[in-house]
Amino acid sequence: MTKIRSALSSIPVAAWLMYAFLGWFIVAFLIYPNLNVYYEIFWGGGSFSLDAVHKLISSERAMKSLYNSFILALSLVVTVNLVGIFLVLVTEYFEIKGAKILRLGYFTTLVYSGVVLVSGYKFIYGDSGFITRVLSHLFPAFNVNWFHGYGAVLFVMTFACTSNHVIFLTNAIRKLDFQTVEAAKNMGASTFYILRRVVLPVLKPTIFALTVLLFLTGLGATSAPLILGGSEFQTITPMILTFARSVTSKDLAALLALVLGVATLLLLTLMIRFEKNGNFMSVSKVKSALVKQKINNRIGNVLVHTAAYLLFVIYIIPVVLIILFSFTDARSISTAMLSPGEFTLDNYITVFSNMSAFKPYLVSICYAAVASLAVVVLTLMASRILHKFNNIWSRTLEYALLIPWMLPSTLIAIGLIVTFDTPKPILGNTVLLGTLWLLLIAYVIVHIPFTLRMVKASFFSIDGNLEDAAKNLGARSFYSFRRVLLPIILPSALAVLALNFNNILADYDLTVFLYHPLYQPLGIVIKNSTDAQALADTQALTLVYSVILMIMSAITLYGVYGRSSRSKTK
Amino acid sequence: MITFKDIHIQFGELSVIPGLNLQIREGEFFTFLGPSGCGKTTILRSLVGFINPSGGQILLNDRDITNVPIEKRGISMVFQSYALFPTLNVYENIAFGLRVQKIPSARLDEEVRDIARKVDLSEEQLFKKVSELSGGQQQRVAIARALVLKPSILALDEPLSNLDAKLRVQLRNELKSLQKKFGITTIYVTHDQEEALTLSDRIAVFHKGVAEQVGTPQEIYNHSATEFVCNFIGSSNRLDPALAGGPLKPWADPGKNVYIRHEKVSLHPFSSEETAVVLKGRIVEQEFYGIYTKYTIDTGGYGMLKSVEIVNSLNSRSAGDEVEVYLNVQDILQYD
Repeated sequence: MTKIRSALSSIPVAAWLMYAFLGWFIVAFLIYPNLNVYYEIFWGGGSFSLDAVHKLISSERAMKSLYNSFILALSLVVTVNLVGIFLVLVTEYFEIKGAKILRLGYFTTLVYSGVVLVSGYKFIYGDSGFITRVLSHLFPAFNVNWFHGYGAVLFVMTFACTSNHVIFLTNAIRKLDFQTVEAAKNMGASTFYILRRVVLPVLKPTIFALTVLLFLTGLGATSAPLILGGSEFQTITPMILTFARSVTSKDLAALLALVLGVATLLLLTLMIRFEKNGNFMSVSKVKSALVKQKINNRIGNVLVHTAAYLLFVIYIIPVVLIILFSFTDARSISTAMLSPGEFTLDNYITVFSNMSAFKPYLVSICYAAVASLAVVVLTLMASRILHKFNNIWSRTLEYALLIPWMLPSTLIAIGLIVTFDTPKPILGNTVLLGTLWLLLIAYVIVHIPFTLRMVKASFFSIDGNLEDAAKNLGARSFYSFRRVLLPIILPSALAVLALNFNNILADYDLTVFLYHPLYQPLGIVIKNSTDAQALADTQALTLVYSVILMIMSAITLYGVYGRSSRSKTK
Repeated sequence: MITFKDIHIQFGELSVIPGLNLQIREGEFFTFLGPSGCGKTTILRSLVGFINPSGGQILLNDRDITNVPIEKRGISMVFQSYALFPTLNVYENIAFGLRVQKIPSARLDEEVRDIARKVDLSEEQLFKKVSELSGGQQQRVAIARALVLKPSILALDEPLSNLDAKLRVQLRNELKSLQKKFGITTIYVTHDQEEALTLSDRIAVFHKGVAEQVGTPQEIYNHSATEFVCNFIGSSNRLDPALAGGPLKPWADPGKNVYIRHEKVSLHPFSSEETAVVLKGRIVEQEFYGIYTKYTIDTGGYGMLKSVEIVNSLNSRSAGDEVEVYLNVQDILQYD
């Protein structure tokens, strides 16, 4: 007892304050709103009722959206895996001429994603888009309204979702022990036989994990069905958004979000179980690096090259055209005509000199900067605790902070809306709905799991003796943290901060639920510019926003991944 | 003088140190030797203050330091990995403890440079990143960082274990000369018997948390107190009971486990003062180690014996040779 008392009294006041803050944050924003969703659905009228469920079942639109989401998720699993695996094989496994250039093209979806990518594709393939114009010139009977509905959504999402394949599957294939390929060759196996029996089975766990994530992405798709789905192909999230905006249908929005949440939870659990049991560990003592494989079959080689370059064109065209059109005037944009005489810097000058044009950018930068900094500070606090203690409380803290990982951002947004639309004692009776704070808090919540995993990993990779050494040299806990630990983890923390900043800057899926109408972030403005009634001038500014976002993403990604991979190569 | 008085250390239900009584003299180079998991690092960490003993006392010159905070014990530690702060340069690593003590900058600078000179770190090296230094230089930084605080005791936790064999020998010598130069009480943890024998004034051999023997390297080697110490230090032949009860009967007790070290079994007669028993045998295996050769000899009814001979072109033998084997009976070791 005396020992416990002396241990407790040895904890400084600042540490107690940190624990209290973390505890309050977790309860107020991670647990309470998510539990409140259930309350609002089933006890919203004061007593238990299944009215919302009946309402959902009898709503044709809602049921259709559920069906559409399921179909989209299933289709995506097939198309993205086909394209994604092909891309990785082309860039990493087979000997393809110009593979480095191809890779650069396939990587373009890493620098523009979400609403920027979807609006970009609509700008190119939409009824007044450049490609549509070219096609209608070539084939006069061509229907210029071809790019909408299920096909368009699937097409755009297929290319948007291959980023994960490019990153994760590339890592997985690079870990392949090449001696296993050589051994198979030595036993007379052909290129495609080795691919089927040796290479792909090793990639299976990663492919499975990616498949689950894809399915979830398909279920929770927001911007693509919203912008391209039209009235005939609406999925769950746009439907939740519609219901959330109606005062009488908030329970329906919450129930749909819950359905999405349960599906996410089930699929992630499945993925974790599979990850635990299904990873292949190389048994080689000395691994050798992969050597690219020649495709000996001539026809096969031509086909693979053709498909690789065709995909390259599909990937690269939107980026090139967005950049080119960002330098043209409103007339060129509305007529989708490129002529060298029309190129101008006016759009860029307007964005950087006109406050109303720059405002969305400023709003997004402020949100992204504050939220990404806050989430890093929060996870640094948590990681410090997880690093120092290994007990039931630290484990509870970790699991609580990982809650948002298990929930789709739509459910988190709905939870915040239905909880903080009235005064709540846990927030000192402050109403958050309709304020700038709610979106900021949501950004922080959604980015906690990823940031925690990264920051925690860098904490745990530190030599445990360093802190002991500092202690032995007389340093107190905070001094050791500030002088020894923080400088070591700072590069990782800053890298995560940059990635989060980048993600938040053009976010749409979460923003659309919680943004303040007077302070519209970039994602909202970009989406609005895709509406039929949007002016060509607005579209011109959107193209500039998109280009700047691409440049910022490219710089961030190079800073975070490019430099580290270069130093590894050295 | 350091005194461990009935020290008990327990991790949960597991008793790691079941009651240690040990004294270390001032200025001594004292080594905790033992296999992995024997508790030697645990005892060192309890002395430095990282682990609180479950029972007993640690006395430093009769002052009880069992519950004294780490920074107030005056014991500096050099870690197995050196634990040099990678984001600080050599100078700042050495100055770290002084900065914590808020030593004025002029004095701090003087002390850092002074200790750096003493451990042979050049001015240029002082402003290098620690990652730019060789293993040996890193070790000197770690020692300088520890010594700059003028501790009364220096604790070293396997500081040579991460180095290659040649560097290990070189740094072992440097370590010994540094300890002599500073005259500081040094406690050294290692599982390497050669390091322990060459460096130490005295050694404590640990087994399952118990100090099985405490003594000088010569005492430990020549008069191993327990069967574990005999087996852990050096290489020995365990003699066949038929041999112990036969030709060796006047010197050995056949009811005990009888050992003789490899170098006390020879293919040549010992000097006239030494008593030897001679056996007939045949060499079945020969292992060449450069300066010496190890022979495995089949002595027929008395089992196999191993012998170590300094390589000499005049006395070299081969597998299959019939030989006479000389056992120096004065060096027989016997255990219950």
